[in-house]
Amino acid sequence: MLDFAESLVRGVGQTVSITACAFLIGAVLGFPLALLRRSRNVLVRWGAALVIDTVRSIPPIVVVFLVFYSVGSGAVRLGTFQAAVIGLGAISAAYLAEIYRAGIESVASGQWEAANALALPSRKMYVHVILPQALLVAIPPAATFAIGLLKDSAVASVIGAQDITFFAFQESQATLQGLTIFLVAAVLYIALSLPVAGLARWSDHALSKRVAT
Amino acid sequence: MPVTTTALLELRDICVSYKHHQVVHNVDLTVDRGEVVALIGPSGAGKSSLLRSINFLEEPNQGQVLLAGQRVGVLDRRGRAVPANRRQLAEHRRHVGMVFQSFNLFPHLSALENVILAQVHGLGRSRSAARERARQELEHVGLSDKSNMRPASCSGGQQQRIAIARALAMDPMLMLFDEPTSALDPELGIEVLNTMRRLADEGMTMVVVTHEMHFAEEVADRVVFMADGRIVEQGPASEVMNNPRHERTQRFLSAVKNR
Repeated sequence: MLDFAESLVRGVGQTVSITACAFLIGAVLGFPLALLRRSRNVLVRWGAALVIDTVRSIPPIVVVFLVFYSVGSGAVRLGTFQAAVIGLGAISAAYLAEIYRAGIESVASGQWEAANALALPSRKMYVHVILPQALLVAIPPAATFAIGLLKDSAVASVIGAQDITFFAFQESQATLQGLTIFLVAAVLYIALSLPVAGLARWSDHALSKRVAT
Repeated sequence: MPVTTTALLELRDICVSYKHHQVVHNVDLTVDRGEVVALIGPSGAGKSSLLRSINFLEEPNQGQVLLAGQRVGVLDRRGRAVPANRRQLAEHRRHVGMVFQSFNLFPHLSALENVILAQVHGLGRSRSAARERARQELEHVGLSDKSNMRPASCSGGQQQRIAIARALAMDPMLMLFDEPTSALDPELGIEVLNTMRRLADEGMTMVVVTHEMHFAEEVADRVVFMADGRIVEQGPASEVMNNPRHERTQRFLSAVKNR
């Protein structure tokens, strides 16, 4: 069992870095996408919604394959890691855009009115008034999404990225002790998601305290 | 276009609608420099909508707003009037302070930071000048000791006074108050009304939507009674409050006074 653990731990680095990079891409790209989703221009709004809904309705495994076989097979040779990060990053952007948007829309209308009445320029209003309140609301659902992403990162193994699931599959093929090996894999995933879940709980608590007082 | 010399604010033929429901009908109103005007009337009369049209939180769908003789909220583009963009509205709004029924302080900032923020990012004051001014304004409303408190740790009356300080720090020509005491216990309302009374004594031009009839009678120079989106009657406060001429005004005043 310890041997298996030792073998699977080799994949932790890839699992964590695929998750972290994809989440980072999503966290950055999700923001402009959320703003486009709130545009005053109907076409822009619909366009953004179409992109978000399309990406969200394709299974992650299909997205990763699509990236791997389209972008990755053309002029630019993509490694398995890059392909997985791009695919999962696109999915993250779509989900986080909706999470940001919900956060922004949760800010009370009086806050927007006060910022407008005080003649704050649009960018300053977002930076100093709206986003500090919106992001706090967005943290718990974003953390929940991050845990889901950590699990979804296992699809990277199907294109050959050497993550936890990749090594688990390899070991089980070699030793035929699949149950034990995948139990070890499950424990590893749980261990990795605990800190994120902790962050979610903590921020949720901090938020409710702030709303209550 | 004739420019009246004493009028600070002039509303001409203002109409405000929500979707297909018109709430303000062709209202004309002039406010002189240093004048305190109380807008009273039953709820749904269009008082708040009229007030909010002054700084374009509610964009009037007809009519003109003039501040210090200048038409605001529209641009003259080759002789045609088009709605002003956000930047031009901001230019107007920085001269008009607004105090809301629900205070609308920024909950994540301290009292002091609430007063500093728009000075720095709206007016472009240096941080140190803004901080100094914020201290003065908080002292002015009697809340120096609350500078570092978050709004949530202050009483409603204190929050509203912080909101007044926040608006005053922008050096407004005109202050708008939208039912500033309606969300407060009477006891806490008093401290807000006293702050407003002092502001009026200092010569600030104010338009106040209020249900506080004592305040309207004692502090306002002029009382404007509105019903059904129109001005029914207006005049010197004591006259309108004690000898209303219009039947609708009489009905309203006797109802609220006998409460």
